[in-house]
Amino acid sequence: MRLHPLTSLAAAGSTAVITTAAASWPVSLTVIAAAVGLSFAQGAARRMLPAAAVILVPLVLSLLALHGLFFPEGTTVLAQWGPARVTAQGLQFALERAAQLSAAVLVLLLGSFTVSVPDLVAVLSTRGVNARFAFVLASTLTLLPAISSRLERIRQAQEARGLVIRPGIPGRVAAFRWQAVPLLLSLVEEAGTRAAALQARGFGSAGPITSYRQVLDSPVQRWARVVLLLAALAAIVFRLWQPTAGA
Amino acid sequence: MVQTPPPALAAGIEKFVFPGETEPVLAGISLTLVPGSLTAVLGGSGSGKSTLGRLLAGWLLPGDGGTLTGFFELAGTTVRFTGTAADPQIDPGRWGRQVGFVPQDPAGALSTVRVTVAEELAFGLENAGVDRASMAGAVRDTAALTGLAHLLDRDPATLSGGQLRRLAIGCAVIQRPAVLVMDEPFASLDTDGAEVLAALVRNLAQDGTAVVIMSQRAEPFLHTADTWLVLTGGTVAATGTPAEIVAAGALEMAGVIRPRPLTVARPRAGVDYQSAVNGPTALELRDVSFTYRRTRRRGWFKSQPGPPADPVLHGLSLTLDAGEILAVTGPNASGKSTLLRHLNGLLQPTAGSVLVQGRNIGGHPAGQVSRDVGLLFQQPRDQLFERTVEREVRFGLGRDGLAADQAVQRALAAVGLDHLAGRHPAELPASQQRLLALATVLARRPSVLALDEPTVSLDGPGLDRLDRVVRSTTADGNAVVLVTHDLDYARSIAHRLVCLEAGRLRGI
Repeated sequence: MRLHPLTSLAAAGSTAVITTAAASWPVSLTVIAAAVGLSFAQGAARRMLPAAAVILVPLVLSLLALHGLFFPEGTTVLAQWGPARVTAQGLQFALERAAQLSAAVLVLLLGSFTVSVPDLVAVLSTRGVNARFAFVLASTLTLLPAISSRLERIRQAQEARGLVIRPGIPGRVAAFRWQAVPLLLSLVEEAGTRAAALQARGFGSAGPITSYRQVLDSPVQRWARVVLLLAALAAIVFRLWQPTAGA
Repeated sequence: MVQTPPPALAAGIEKFVFPGETEPVLAGISLTLVPGSLTAVLGGSGSGKSTLGRLLAGWLLPGDGGTLTGFFELAGTTVRFTGTAADPQIDPGRWGRQVGFVPQDPAGALSTVRVTVAEELAFGLENAGVDRASMAGAVRDTAALTGLAHLLDRDPATLSGGQLRRLAIGCAVIQRPAVLVMDEPFASLDTDGAEVLAALVRNLAQDGTAVVIMSQRAEPFLHTADTWLVLTGGTVAATGTPAEIVAAGALEMAGVIRPRPLTVARPRAGVDYQSAVNGPTALELRDVSFTYRRTRRRGWFKSQPGPPADPVLHGLSLTLDAGEILAVTGPNASGKSTLLRHLNGLLQPTAGSVLVQGRNIGGHPAGQVSRDVGLLFQQPRDQLFERTVEREVRFGLGRDGLAADQAVQRALAAVGLDHLAGRHPAELPASQQRLLALATVLARRPSVLALDEPTVSLDGPGLDRLDRVVRSTTADGNAVVLVTHDLDYARSIAHRLVCLEAGRLRGI
């Protein structure tokens, strides 16, 4: 069964909140393992894991550098250079925070990479979300393929006129300087003609809009969304009540 | 007493001037479109057809888009424009419900944010707030009318050119506009595609839609139109029934192409696909087969099903001598463009080999092969990417400034665009864009010229230029391969004709 887009987003959001609030090693690692496992099962790993790496690697390294080297409460000193001391407690704290953060980031990325964007746009449109916002959201799905096919066309036109491009990704990257300006100009030009087409088809008109796409929902999913949101709220309240829980 | 029905749309354009220009692009045009009528607006490249079409359809708005003096009468309401700031504003959305438009490039009409044909059709209805049940009915009816019923779940990005045009027409007519304006709808359609389109237009007219077709070719179907309006230089050169216009000889004067009668200009060779001219071999294909790769898997574990990978070319063998013109014809989607892309190395055969001047080009980058083989793309806009006409032709001509200058001059003069060197390629009319693309190929003086549908979007004078270029390049000892769906043109110019059908060659 395909999940309603709001259900998957609610699940991702509340899992991220609960994991952050729980601040516990086992919970974080379980969520990380589950998110990675689900991404493979859903076929999203290829796109999701590189994105996660781009976000998490610098964050985790900075956490390690900050807390690993400068942790005043640390007592077990492993190494020392002047004011900077590597302490066991500092490292442990940094790793715990890194796991917590990774769990939240991975689960949110999983939600956004697996949600069906057309379904989400349809749901948002019928719930009165601004049509322009829905259009931008829908563009995330079509813009990248459109840009890459335009780039491919420009590249072929240039090759047909003698631009020698070495095979492989480095060759293409090196040749990109020839394509960047034409690509940008053609996208700007296309945006102008597209705007006329969209306006003539009533896009941006005042008044209610409807959606042709049907998104299946069920009472179970509606209840699940309420429970997920309540669970997230409960986790926050619990965390505020017991500030040292799990730390 | 018989009463004439009120017009679906009437327009009186005293003059229309683009922003920043002083000369009007349209002047003295008067047009009345009755329900159920078919009107053809004919004219050469740059005659103002597309501007008139976009103005009638609300794609070009008086005010931001230019200064209009004149009036429109739509659905009984007259709006007058005096070219001042006090002029009324047209609401393109409401106008679009009454007047549908299919642009020359059908992809330009799509929203690009809908993932199925059905949703793309419904986009305009969604914006008008139509309820779901009515939308479903309208989508079903429009799909049946335009022959899209079996494609409703397809992604619009995967449609062929002909299917895309029918989708654009569907999007334009789904709200049952009183008027449908189509800009060059027959360009690049093969005979079957043109017949499907003609039947569709007849159905729409029978249902009471006033249809306007802009074209630079007096297609056979357009001879059934009620009225022809011939434009030159943005103004009406002649108007009347097709018979009256033909009798007055107004088409030739306006640069409108009249499809040639079927004539066999040259003796044709047999079916061995061997050369008809005795020169050294310029190009040879040996048993070339090609299959597009399957769609890449998107995930690491779960793969997305891609379309089945059928071979596009099956064991093609062919030789072409220096000084020879070979025409390859065939229906849309038979692999003609794919074949041409093998000649300059943009595509590499999955089996077999391509030899240019006796040298196997396998493994050589297209940039190197292009020194010998010049390829004119099917769509000029795919070939043009620079900011000026002059820069466009100069791209890739090397660092020797003087030699490059001369090559640019020579190529632009050959296609008659030397007076437009400073213009932006996107501002040129379609016929001149095609000629500019041809100039970019000629400037490199290739020994083999590969032309993909070179006649599409050329007007009468443009076609003459093409003819001269092709004949002079072969007289210089170069070879020409041209792919065209226009059998008459192929017969009039080629030494040899072959037909590519479902990826296999056969003689004609």
